[in-house]
Amino acid sequence: MKKNKTLILALITAFLTIVGQAPVRAHEAKCPHCELDVVQDTPTLDNEVALKYGKKRIEYRCVMCAIADADKNYKGDLTVLAPTETKGKRIEIARKGGQWTGPEGTVFIAHKVKHRYCQAGYRAFTNKAAFDTHVQKNKLQVAGAEPVTLAQLVEVASKEFESEK
Amino acid sequence: MRRIIASTFCALLAGAATTFGASPGDGAHEMMGHGEHGAQPQTTDRKLEPLPKQVPDWLRNRKKNHVFYKQGKFNYDIYNIKPLAYDLNAVAVGHAMAYEDMVIGKAATLDTRTFDRINWVLKHPPRLMPDEAAISSTFNRRFGVLEQVFDWTHILHAQTVDVLASTKLTEKEKDKKIEELWQYYTTSVPYAITPLPMNMAYLDSQPYSMAFRKRYPKVNGLFWGYHWLQGIMYDALYGKTLDHQKAGYKILGERYHETELYKTDRSFMPMFAEVSPRFSQKFPHIANAFDNLHMLHDMVNDIFTSDWMTEEQKDEQVLRAIWIVSADAHRHEKAGDVKEEAGMHDHRFMEGMPGMGLMKGGDQEVMYMDGMGWMSMADCHHCSMALPEGDEAWRAPTVTAEGWTMRVRCPLCARDMAAETKGRAILHIPTENQNHPLAVFSDEQGNLTTDMANAVFVEEEGSHRRCHRWSQAFTSKAALDEFIAGNPDFKTSRAISFQQWADRHGEKPDTYVKPVGPPGNPIDEVASTNEEDR
Repeated sequence: MKKNKTLILALITAFLTIVGQAPVRAHEAKCPHCELDVVQDTPTLDNEVALKYGKKRIEYRCVMCAIADADKNYKGDLTVLAPTETKGKRIEIARKGGQWTGPEGTVFIAHKVKHRYCQAGYRAFTNKAAFDTHVQKNKLQVAGAEPVTLAQLVEVASKEFESEK
Repeated sequence: MRRIIASTFCALLAGAATTFGASPGDGAHEMMGHGEHGAQPQTTDRKLEPLPKQVPDWLRNRKKNHVFYKQGKFNYDIYNIKPLAYDLNAVAVGHAMAYEDMVIGKAATLDTRTFDRINWVLKHPPRLMPDEAAISSTFNRRFGVLEQVFDWTHILHAQTVDVLASTKLTEKEKDKKIEELWQYYTTSVPYAITPLPMNMAYLDSQPYSMAFRKRYPKVNGLFWGYHWLQGIMYDALYGKTLDHQKAGYKILGERYHETELYKTDRSFMPMFAEVSPRFSQKFPHIANAFDNLHMLHDMVNDIFTSDWMTEEQKDEQVLRAIWIVSADAHRHEKAGDVKEEAGMHDHRFMEGMPGMGLMKGGDQEVMYMDGMGWMSMADCHHCSMALPEGDEAWRAPTVTAEGWTMRVRCPLCARDMAAETKGRAILHIPTENQNHPLAVFSDEQGNLTTDMANAVFVEEEGSHRRCHRWSQAFTSKAALDEFIAGNPDFKTSRAISFQQWADRHGEKPDTYVKPVGPPGNPIDEVASTNEEDR
C-alpha cells in the first residue's frame, strides 16, 4: 500500500515536472498592422518581430509590418527586433532622428507575396549566404527574389503605408 | 482583415437569414428607406415572425407617459466631468437626428448629409441635455412606445453615471444608489428592458438583421461609437476619484472622437462587458439591460432600413423587437435559463461574466473580439489563469487600451499587457483595500504614472499558476508589513517602489494558452477563406 502511494506521488511529481518544463507559450496577439495572427517562434526558428518604443514592446507578424507601422503610427526613436535565420539571434534595426540603421552585413528579403506568407517574403538575414538558402528553401513563394538593403526595405514599407492612405 | 471578416460574416449570416420566407419588394414604401440603393440581397424567402397575440396593453399605448429622474443629490453630477457630460448630450442629438431623418423620407442621405449634421454636433456638443422628442417629433408620433423605452433606459444611463461621478457619496453608497436606481427603473413603468442576458446571435439573426450597418456604415459607426462611450464610461468612473475620472476621460474622450465614432469595420456592436468588465461583474443585470437596449437600437434601425417590408410590417416588427427585449416577456425567467437554445429565451451567459449574453459564433467559453481574436471572459487575457469571481471579482486588475478593457489576474499581467499594447492605457490595480485601488496611466511610450506615491509591490516572478500571490500591490509599506504579519510565507518578500515596479517587464507567461473558437464556427471559416486570398 505504502509502495503504491509512493509510486503515485512519484508519477504526479513527474507529471508536474513535465508540465512545468513544457515550452514557454507566448502571449499571442494579432499583428497591429496586418491584423493576422503573429506567427510564434518555434524551437528551431524565431518568427516574432518586436517593435520597442520606450517601454512598449509590440509584436508584429513580419519586419515589413513593423517598419510600415512605425512609419504610420510612431513618432521619434524606436527599435525593431527582427528574427534572422539563426534561432536566438535577432538583429536590432533602429530608427533614430528619422534615420534607419542596422548591423553591417545584414540583408533583407522584400519579395511581394500573399501576406499569409509574409514570414517568407519579408525577413532579415545576417549574410547573403543565409538569404540564398532561404530563397532556395522557400522557392514556391519567393523564387527569383533579390537581396535588398535596409533602406530599400524601408522604402517598400513606406510605399505600403502610402497605398493605404 | 477585420473589415473582410466583418463583411463576409455579415454576408454569411444575411444569407442564412434569407432562407426563411417572404418576397422581394413586398412593401416598397415612400416614408422610410430607398429601395433603389439595393444594398440588401434580393430574396424570395423571408419570414417575419408575428407579434404574439397576447401582449400587454402598454406595448400599444399612445400616451406620453413621461417619467422623470428619481430624486437624488447626485443628479447631474456628471457635469463634474464636463467633457464627458457634453459628449453624452451630443449622443442624444445624434440618435434623435438619425431617427427623424429615417422617418421623414431623408434616409437616402443618411450617410452623407445627416452624417455631416450629426458629426458637427458631436464636434460642438450642447452644454445641456436636449429633449430628444423635440428633435425627432415625427419619429415620436409614430413610435411613441419605442421612444419611451429608449428614453426611460437612457435615464437609467444618465442617473447611474451621475452617481458614479458624484463626490458626495462613498463607494458603498454609490453601490446602494445604483441598486435603488435599478429598482426605480424596473418598478416605475411597465416598459423596462430585461436584465437577463439575451442570446445576441438570436437578436441579430432576424430576417431584417444587419441591413442598417451595410447600407449606412458611417451612421451605424456613429451609433456603435455612442454605445462604446455609453459602455466604457462605467469602468472609467467606477471606484475612481474625480481626478482619476477626469484623467481617464482625457484618454478615452480623445479616442472616442478620433477613432471609435468613425469605425466602420466592427463585426458587432460594442458589448458592455468588453469595455466595462468590472461594472458588469458587479451589476450584471444593468450591463445586460444596456446591451439589450443597444441591440434594440440595432434591430429597429435594421427594420427601418428593410425596404422589402410594408409600413404595417415595420410597425409590427418594431413592437415585436420591443417585446423581445422587454422585462415583461421574460417574467419568472432567470439568468442561465435556456427554454429554447439559441432563441428568445436563451439566457445563458459567458463563463466568468454574468453581465454578457452569448455572442455570435461563440459559445459560453469563448467569444470573438475584433482585433483580439478568440477570448475567454473567465480567464486572464495575459496568462490564461482563471480570474476571481463573485465577491472576489474586485481583486482582478483591468487594462483599458485600444478601445477595450480586459480583466487580468495580477499587477504584473496588467503592466505587461499594457506594455504589449499600442497607445495610451489606463490600469486599474486593486490593493489590499477594496476602496483604494491604484490608478495607473500609461503614455504612448509605456511610461507609467500614479498619484499614490506610497504604493509598494511584491513581485517575485514564478509560474503564473500563482501570479495572484507573487504579484500584489499595497497602498503602503505599512500595509504590506501587516499583510506579511498575517502571511508568514511572504516573510522574505521584498517591497519594491512604484517606479521600480514600473521599470520591470516580466517573462512571457508560462501558462498562456491561446483561446480557440468552437469547432465549425463561421468566424474561423470566413477568416481562413479570406486568409487564402491575402
